[in-house]
Amino acid sequence: MAPRRGTTRRRFLKSTALAVAGLGLPRALGAATADLKLKKPIKIGCQTILSGPLGGYGEFMRKGATLAMEEINAQGGIGGSPIEISFRDEELKVDVGVKNARYFVEDWGADFLIGIDSSAVALAVGEIMPSLNRILIVTHGATEKYNEDLVFKRHVRQCFRVCVPVYQDGIASALVAKDLPVKRWATISPDYEYGHTSWRMFRAYLKRFKPDVEFVGESFAKFGTVDFSSHISKVMGLSPEGIFSTEWGGEAVTMVKQAKLFKVFEQTKAFMIGMGAAMDVLQGLGADYPDGVWASGRYYFGYPDSAENKRFNEAFRKRWDTYPSYPSETAYTAVQALKKAVEKARSVETEKVIEALEGLELDRPAGKCVIRKEDHQAVYAVPWGQIRHDPKFPMPTLTNLKVFTTDEYYRKPPFAPVEG
Amino acid sequence: MLFQGLVGLSEAMYLWLVAAGLSLIFGVMRVLNFAHGSLYMLGAYFAWVAFRVSGSFWVALLAGPLVVAAVGWAMEFGFLRRVYSAPEAFQLLLTFAFVLILDDAVKLVFGPVYQSPPTPAALSGAVLIGHSVLPTYHLFILGVGALVGFGLWVFLEKTSFGLVIRATAADREMARALGVRASRLFTWVFMLGAWLAGLGGALSMPVRAISPGMGELIIIEAFVVVVLGGLGSLRGAFVGSLLIGLLHAYGLLFMPVFELALGYMAMALVLIVRPWGLFGIREG
Amino acid sequence: MRARLAAGAVLAVVVLLVPAIAGPFLRYLALNMLLLALLALSFNLLFGMTGLLSFGQGAFYAGGAYSAALLLRAGVPLLWSILLGALAAAALAAVLGAFCVRHTRIYFSMLTLAFGMLVYAVVWKWTAVTGGDDGLIGIPRARIGLPGPLDFSLDSPARYYLFAAVLVLLSMAVLHRLSASPLGLALRAIRENAERAEFSGVPVRRTIYIAFVTAGLFAGLSGALLAPLEQTVSPSTAHWTKSAEPVMATLIGGPLSFLGPILGAVVYLGLKEIIVRFTEYWLLVFGLVLLAMVLVFRRGLVGAASRLRMPRRRT
Repeated sequence: MAPRRGTTRRRFLKSTALAVAGLGLPRALGAATADLKLKKPIKIGCQTILSGPLGGYGEFMRKGATLAMEEINAQGGIGGSPIEISFRDEELKVDVGVKNARYFVEDWGADFLIGIDSSAVALAVGEIMPSLNRILIVTHGATEKYNEDLVFKRHVRQCFRVCVPVYQDGIASALVAKDLPVKRWATISPDYEYGHTSWRMFRAYLKRFKPDVEFVGESFAKFGTVDFSSHISKVMGLSPEGIFSTEWGGEAVTMVKQAKLFKVFEQTKAFMIGMGAAMDVLQGLGADYPDGVWASGRYYFGYPDSAENKRFNEAFRKRWDTYPSYPSETAYTAVQALKKAVEKARSVETEKVIEALEGLELDRPAGKCVIRKEDHQAVYAVPWGQIRHDPKFPMPTLTNLKVFTTDEYYRKPPFAPVEG
Repeated sequence: MLFQGLVGLSEAMYLWLVAAGLSLIFGVMRVLNFAHGSLYMLGAYFAWVAFRVSGSFWVALLAGPLVVAAVGWAMEFGFLRRVYSAPEAFQLLLTFAFVLILDDAVKLVFGPVYQSPPTPAALSGAVLIGHSVLPTYHLFILGVGALVGFGLWVFLEKTSFGLVIRATAADREMARALGVRASRLFTWVFMLGAWLAGLGGALSMPVRAISPGMGELIIIEAFVVVVLGGLGSLRGAFVGSLLIGLLHAYGLLFMPVFELALGYMAMALVLIVRPWGLFGIREG
Repeated sequence: MRARLAAGAVLAVVVLLVPAIAGPFLRYLALNMLLLALLALSFNLLFGMTGLLSFGQGAFYAGGAYSAALLLRAGVPLLWSILLGALAAAALAAVLGAFCVRHTRIYFSMLTLAFGMLVYAVVWKWTAVTGGDDGLIGIPRARIGLPGPLDFSLDSPARYYLFAAVLVLLSMAVLHRLSASPLGLALRAIRENAERAEFSGVPVRRTIYIAFVTAGLFAGLSGALLAPLEQTVSPSTAHWTKSAEPVMATLIGGPLSFLGPILGAVVYLGLKEIIVRFTEYWLLVFGLVLLAMVLVFRRGLVGAASRLRMPRRRT
């Protein structure tokens, strides 16, 4: 389906331009872009988790990036140069991630790198970006060490991130929780750095907003847990009123199913899952997803109610026959951000594009966003909402959306350490 | 407190089914089947397909493990029997090759994304035990595990085929001298072992997400169990899985930091102190 | 003997020429092959020579990697960090080996698997020291640390390659000498028949112990060389999936010859790199390759090659 280069492109361009105009939803740059005489093609290397119980994320990311590529190429590419994206499996392993990055740049000739689900891989690959002299835009890895340490404190300027980090799970969640009638919180979260950091952030910030809360228990499930029963019984034995969890992907699905069997949702007043609104979790749980569970992600297809978001949803569903998950949107945005930055800089040179990306404003499906200069973190708001089963949709959706201003929950330089 | 143990025991049942097959195969054939976790995974997937086709959980439970037994037959008859005379290491490596092949084959056919079948309504309830809630499904699993244990005991102790199996496990030379056709026996034993693993997988299907690679997680745990219980001892596999289940459940309560390491520590400890496990035969 | 020396010299020359003739990615791949070759050789000291299948070499690989990483981050010069890292791994092997060598066959393999995963668990949880699942990042590629004018910087990847390659080649030479030495003969005797070896005066347990610690030392060296290469060390270095790599490499190349593990490492990584470009189902392909190796080419590529060369004997 990608247009071939050469004369056929003009015809394709025309028909697509007409089609786009016909939708009545104007794109920021309209039809064909001016030819900046950049290298052809512009190569983007994307690595994501394509195997194992979390392999669904990679699939959604691939779909989002590919859609961006097809749309951009249909309009003439970036500054007249078509883009090519290559995908590799990061396997959630640091050594594989680093090898992939090297392969992309030193062998395949990538001009830019995007992707990465695992925080550890994001940090490790970020380390070598200066020696590779390429830009990395992370689209899922959520550790705050990436923007706070790597970029802000250590000035590794090649690193950027377009997805909201752990602030969504640790701080925005606290903002929601402070208004809930829950005094006793417990957690069932994954047993790795991310699970611990998000719980710590949640505790620290919630305590600030609501000093009389108690944190009665915690259970951290090792990576790859398939049976949460012992964790659930342990935590429920402490009579919590609310449960907080940052389990994701297939593990979140398993946990919710099993929690349901244990009647957790009848016995507690609130249940919060930071990445519970990911499309694969929504689809995976389906009718089994209890109403009222608080969930969020890095983007929710139903927010905001903007023209761009509608257009993206329609294009995505038409192309892939499924609703977009959040890694789709972040990958899509990463590619679009590169387009905008390269065209602004009129070059693919790393240093020039870094300058163009800093402070860049984007009108992405998730809303308006700015890439902060200090830590290269894209700042945009993602809602928390409650699960409900709306017959209009084939999967559960969110209602009662709570959106906070980014000012309220994004941490700012100089990034004081988190208490707790 | 006791409730936590009960939960641990029900978790252990899946492990018991996988470990039982593993132990049986090792006891009779002296082969440590690395691919046993993959057979468990196949059980889950085949059961899921059967469920989608028939709409009935019970049909899925019946059909899934049978198909896995067939796969087991293919593995043993087509490949494993060619390496019986080779050093043990090669048998291990053959089964390891199957892990790689089966895991990726499943990914190829079903896709890398996990699947999440619904829990059958009949078993979605829960019972109140003291102050705590125990899902009906967990009771069901405990029942099935106990039934399988009983069934295996009856089979091995009370039937002539079971006698042949026990004899071959105890002394292969003698058994052969008495006319036992080892090759046929091995095939049946491997199929039985595979069926057990497949049953474990089929039972886990409604309450756990199934995905390629789910076998990797359980095979290491199964190794721990059979080492603990004694390689080749079915009784050991049963007791071993109960112990690991309890260790896991109570470990979470008292020493959560060690959750990851507990199983391996137990395994190392047993291997150091009493390598033949709790019920195994001391090898000269 | 002369043929062996010549082969070794050719190998050394080829290895050292890589930065001059190959691009950066190929050079990077070649270095990974060298490190895996060393790891596989250490593994084969126990497997091919002694008949013991260790599923836990990752423990020592990680031990070397993390020790070297911690030393480098503390500012210790490169050469010292690497050597001390390898020694730390050897120390770990000395402790764990005391338990492992009392067993054989399946029990030995299971125990090495357990120890390997225990190291993994410790590394994963001991966040204060090992960085937990994030690993240790920002490992500096320090100056080499030789006295005076020899203290040059190894920041450039080509220089680091040469440094690492020299160390690996030296290790290979040492291991080769070892395999031809009385120790090597003793190990092979034990593989054939441990009882008979004992009766002919070989102190079986002590010999195996020495082999175990030596294997740990060189596995640790391989890991230590990894730390400055990637400038990141993560828990996956201790996971059983890492321990499985030298096993596969050795099988592919052939466990009965010295060259086998080296060849196997090159083929394993090379093949993986090629396969991954065509399909994401490389595990499937590898499984099939492994299957073929076990069923048909039990002596690996080296064995198959020698079978072609040697005339068939009439039975």
